[in-house]
Amino acid sequence: MNVMTKPTITEDHRTIGDVQMEVKNITLRFGGVTAIHNTSFNIRHGEIRAIIGPNGAGKTSMLNVINGFYHPQEGTITFKGEERRDMRPHIAATQGIARTFQNVALFKGMTTLDNIMTGRSLKMKKNIFWQILYEGPAKMEEIENRKFVETIIDFLEIQHIRRMPVGKLPYGLQKRVELGRALAMEPELLLLDEPMAGMNVEEKEDMSRFIIDINEEFGTTIALIEHDMGVVMDLSDRVVVLDHGELIADGTPDEVQKNQDVIDAYLGVAHD
Amino acid sequence: MLFFLETVISGLLAGVMYSLVALGFVLIFKASGVFNFAQGVLALFAALTLVGLLSGTTPFTHVDNPALAMPAWAAIPATILVMVLIAVLVERFILRHLVNQDQIILFMSMVGLAYVLEGAGDIIWGSDVKVIDLGLPQGAWDWLLDSHGLYIEKIELVAAGVAGALVIVLAIFFQKTRIGRALRAVADDHQAALSVGISLRTIWIIVWSVAGVVALVTGVMWGAKSGIQFSLSLIALKALPVLILGGFESIPGAIVGGLIIGVGEKLAEVYGGEVIVALFGRWIEIDPGIFTATENWFAYVLALVFLLFRPQGLFGEKIIERV
Amino acid sequence: MADLRTSAGETPCIREEHVLTTEIVLPDGLDTIPKLLDRNAREFGDAAACREKEFGIWQSWTWAQVRDEVDQLALGMIELGLREGDHVAIIGNNRPHLYWAMVASQACGAIPVPLYQDSVAEEMAYVLKHCGARFAVVEDQEQVDKLLEMSGKTPSLKQIVYLDPRGLRKYDHTSMHPYTDVQKLGVDQADAIRGPKKPTLREELDRRKETANGDDTCIILYTSGTTGRPKGVVLSNYNIIATAKTSSEFDHLSSKDSVLAYLPMAWVGDFIFSIGQSYWTGFCVSCPESPETMHQDMREIGPTYFFAPPRFYEGLITSVAIRMEDASPLKQRLYKYFMDHARAVGGAILDGKPVGPWARVKYLLGSILIYGPLKNTLGISRVRVGYTAGEAIGPEIFEFYRSLGINLKQLYGQTEAAVFVTQQPDGEVRADTVGVPSPGVEIRIDDNGEVFYRSPGVFQVYFKNKKSTAETKDKEGWVATGDAGFIEPSTGHLRIIDRAKDVGKMRDGSMFAPKYVENKLKFYPNILEAVVFGDGRDRCCAFINIDLTAVGNWAERNNITYGSYQELAGHEQVLAMIQGHVEEVNESVARDEMLSACQIHRFLVLHKQLDADDGELTRTQKVRRRPIEEKYTDLIEALYDGSETVFADTEVTYEDGRKGRIAATLEIRDARVVGAERMAAE
Repeated sequence: MNVMTKPTITEDHRTIGDVQMEVKNITLRFGGVTAIHNTSFNIRHGEIRAIIGPNGAGKTSMLNVINGFYHPQEGTITFKGEERRDMRPHIAATQGIARTFQNVALFKGMTTLDNIMTGRSLKMKKNIFWQILYEGPAKMEEIENRKFVETIIDFLEIQHIRRMPVGKLPYGLQKRVELGRALAMEPELLLLDEPMAGMNVEEKEDMSRFIIDINEEFGTTIALIEHDMGVVMDLSDRVVVLDHGELIADGTPDEVQKNQDVIDAYLGVAHD
Repeated sequence: MLFFLETVISGLLAGVMYSLVALGFVLIFKASGVFNFAQGVLALFAALTLVGLLSGTTPFTHVDNPALAMPAWAAIPATILVMVLIAVLVERFILRHLVNQDQIILFMSMVGLAYVLEGAGDIIWGSDVKVIDLGLPQGAWDWLLDSHGLYIEKIELVAAGVAGALVIVLAIFFQKTRIGRALRAVADDHQAALSVGISLRTIWIIVWSVAGVVALVTGVMWGAKSGIQFSLSLIALKALPVLILGGFESIPGAIVGGLIIGVGEKLAEVYGGEVIVALFGRWIEIDPGIFTATENWFAYVLALVFLLFRPQGLFGEKIIERV
Repeated sequence: MADLRTSAGETPCIREEHVLTTEIVLPDGLDTIPKLLDRNAREFGDAAACREKEFGIWQSWTWAQVRDEVDQLALGMIELGLREGDHVAIIGNNRPHLYWAMVASQACGAIPVPLYQDSVAEEMAYVLKHCGARFAVVEDQEQVDKLLEMSGKTPSLKQIVYLDPRGLRKYDHTSMHPYTDVQKLGVDQADAIRGPKKPTLREELDRRKETANGDDTCIILYTSGTTGRPKGVVLSNYNIIATAKTSSEFDHLSSKDSVLAYLPMAWVGDFIFSIGQSYWTGFCVSCPESPETMHQDMREIGPTYFFAPPRFYEGLITSVAIRMEDASPLKQRLYKYFMDHARAVGGAILDGKPVGPWARVKYLLGSILIYGPLKNTLGISRVRVGYTAGEAIGPEIFEFYRSLGINLKQLYGQTEAAVFVTQQPDGEVRADTVGVPSPGVEIRIDDNGEVFYRSPGVFQVYFKNKKSTAETKDKEGWVATGDAGFIEPSTGHLRIIDRAKDVGKMRDGSMFAPKYVENKLKFYPNILEAVVFGDGRDRCCAFINIDLTAVGNWAERNNITYGSYQELAGHEQVLAMIQGHVEEVNESVARDEMLSACQIHRFLVLHKQLDADDGELTRTQKVRRRPIEEKYTDLIEALYDGSETVFADTEVTYEDGRKGRIAATLEIRDARVVGAERMAAE
């Protein structure tokens, strides 16, 4: 595996703070199948945290638990000091957790601009009567949020597709728009489910740069699932390794790479 | 020629009604994927409620008490409130529990809802045919009749005008406002909508409320023409071919589909017999009289033809998906 | 026509060395760009000087604001240690701030050196080292990274000023500054007392602006060149301003005109249009939001004065053709009907020639239904003067625009001439000439057919390169263009045949003009690039590059599936189509008696696109003949030895500089040649 050297961003330049999210003893079952078994780890402020593991290890299930799509049978999630039995999508969103999906979940019929604007849903509070009139405060609010969305469009360099329906865009760009929608929520914790899946080398490099820039410029904590090991080792500060729903390692990229359990897990799965 | 024109116009105006009902269907289908079988009953219930409030009927006793009669300006908002209440109840007791269930289960729940609402309407407001009086103009449009000899009822024109205005308002609401955007988002992808913090429940309540308002307009317009009675709930069935024609997810489709069906069945009713006789009369003897009831089945035949050749409807999204 | 060639303010004079040349007299106090800026700020301070789209909105700056921005930056750069005579590298996409950086450098008495923003680090390092740049003003992290990567090779570089701070926060900032910080530094320190006798910063800047004059260097532009290392063309203030003046007068440019700055800032044309002519006449220059949004931005700005290489115009037509194929039959019929009409009378109407009243009415109707909306979509509805140059443009393409009522003209120019050598006056526009000598320009053709010129715009020297200077420019000021051509006796228009060095002889002694044939091939939308071989050989053969957009679309319509560029390029039906094009070109070439030997006997379609990153094209997208010949010797050999297929395995460079290989087996096809039987019989 080609492991590139760490980029010039050095640890001391970024501030990785206290624990932001604590995932404790999570067990998730679907019927008789256990997707995640008694797994605990934490995510600290400002870090890039990778969740890796062979196929079917329970990585996406883990993101779905964090983000409230799945409700674990056992365990707790503590986010920003508040302990919960489980998360709900709406609470996750209001509390500052945004995410992207493995197979791009965009609003295909809407334009790039509208898609990203939906990310501002929670930031727009004017009531339905103003909305219907579409005047006064509601319009002001729309303009304010539009400005914010434009900075994201600029940041992700997608000005040229601003008015295009996203369904017609190439896959790499769709992924970027989806990232933009998540960013529009001004998240404190950004969950990325295989942000580079299906991309060519150049697109991967672009996406890596965006992830680093988001983390550096906005101080956003990022938790990501990724298959490309080069990318994972390059980007992340700490790595959680899952296998068959269980945590088998947790540490810095170097530590994890040397871990015998991890090596076994990857070698043991033929199709990976 | 004049007669033909009259037929077409009256077909168009009837079509507006179909469009309105279909619109209620499309709204709910887009936002929640639910086939709202109860839209016709919703229209009946809304009209009944409005008439009840206007004439001061005491619920459950069916006794009119003129002293309690509300003026139109109060009765209409009150009825809208009732429709919103129904929307809240539907979300609370049906949708919330059936999220992510099979289409057929949702459909059955809607059939159930239709019966419940129909029964409720019966029990609360009584089952006799009611006349609605909102002071809408009645009779023919004199000017057209005098100058061109065209007979067109004023009420139908008003209905067309109101329906048109409603469509414009809805279009603006969907395209321009944040809630409209959220609605479109939910229609596109539930999970993604949840992830950005759009509340599905709020959206459903809003959509059902809007559908309720559309139902109210439908009920009032239809009722003003032919009285408010049980048969009103059957227009929901007419909306089916309209939807097949227009596509289940398309608002413009609902409108155009309604107009086509309206005009088509009027023309078939009037000329269908003659055309068939002219075409096939040489070989078989046909009594044109048997075609007088064409209006009742024409729409379904047209829908069938569409299902064969263009299953996604006129404006529906292509079913073939890009890989 | 003579009056067009001698415009006002131009007086023939005898210089000391007894060389007759045309001197343009510049008004007092307008002999440098910063002085022009001061005048503009004074005289039309509230008018828009430039615009840039950012965050989806057009921001604009008035001349007064631009003057302030430039002054602030200049003050800051002096404070950072910029000296008179220093060189300042400018690298990035077209952005107002980078244009200001050029003018600010000039105000400081320094010389701006704009670089191509897509150059790789080594190319940049060469230029930076060659001119000894001490400052660099760059757009973003991408450019900063390139400079830092090469910092070992560019010891002279002391300060980097950057525009977009994104991703740069964590970098070492001892010799690196955000643009706005430099401006702030300038403002803060402007009037600080430096000591008893020392001038303040502002006084120093005023002195530097004042002492500069027309003989000082305005800018150094490195030409990419088809061979060898880039050469730094030194242009004086007089070169630039005199040229800006005469060319503005030639096309009646005024402060009401509007241009879109989208071509590389390192290219002489952009400097003349976006700085020279803009500062001379006071028109507004708009910068697109990003290179990708250029078409949309152009539609919104609606430039009145516009320059683009032939490629651009061809691209627009291709996009129209693609869209029309998807349009409804009614639209297609309308389009065809009215475009046919436009082809018939449009050009004549544009040139003010007599046209029948009925034809005029029909043209008017066409304008409402087709031409107007079409021009609007293309963003050219306001274009009053449009130029193309760099390479020959297809007559059909040329006529297409002219028939729509776009005054598209050709010019012939060079960096060494500060652009203009010849240009077409209104009403004398043809596809096959490049026009009459521009105001103040003299033309001479030598015995070998090479074109020479002499003008007020003629460059001073190649920077630190006496040898090349001497080879190109003689003592009397005549400059060799390196192009072969002749002046049409009847019209006085110049016609260019090919590069002088590329015009060769075939084995039988007949003339070999590859460019001439290549251009004919490239007029087909399906063919992006072509390279014809034949110098010293008995017949001609060619490499063809397909246009992925056009051919890809064609494939989609014909249900041809393909997985990659190679697969499409090697597809049976694609080859058949290209063969058809080649044979049509042969017929057309055969008609020109002088060049009929240049018909293509055999060709192959390349498995990869020719690319500047692989050294096959110049940065301005021109074919680099020799490197291609060296790189593909095996393919060329196969063309001539009668093989039916050839295996090619080629190294490619990706955008990020990494390398890979592409391999394919290419089919070689024979093309029908006109008059072949006759030739064989001989």
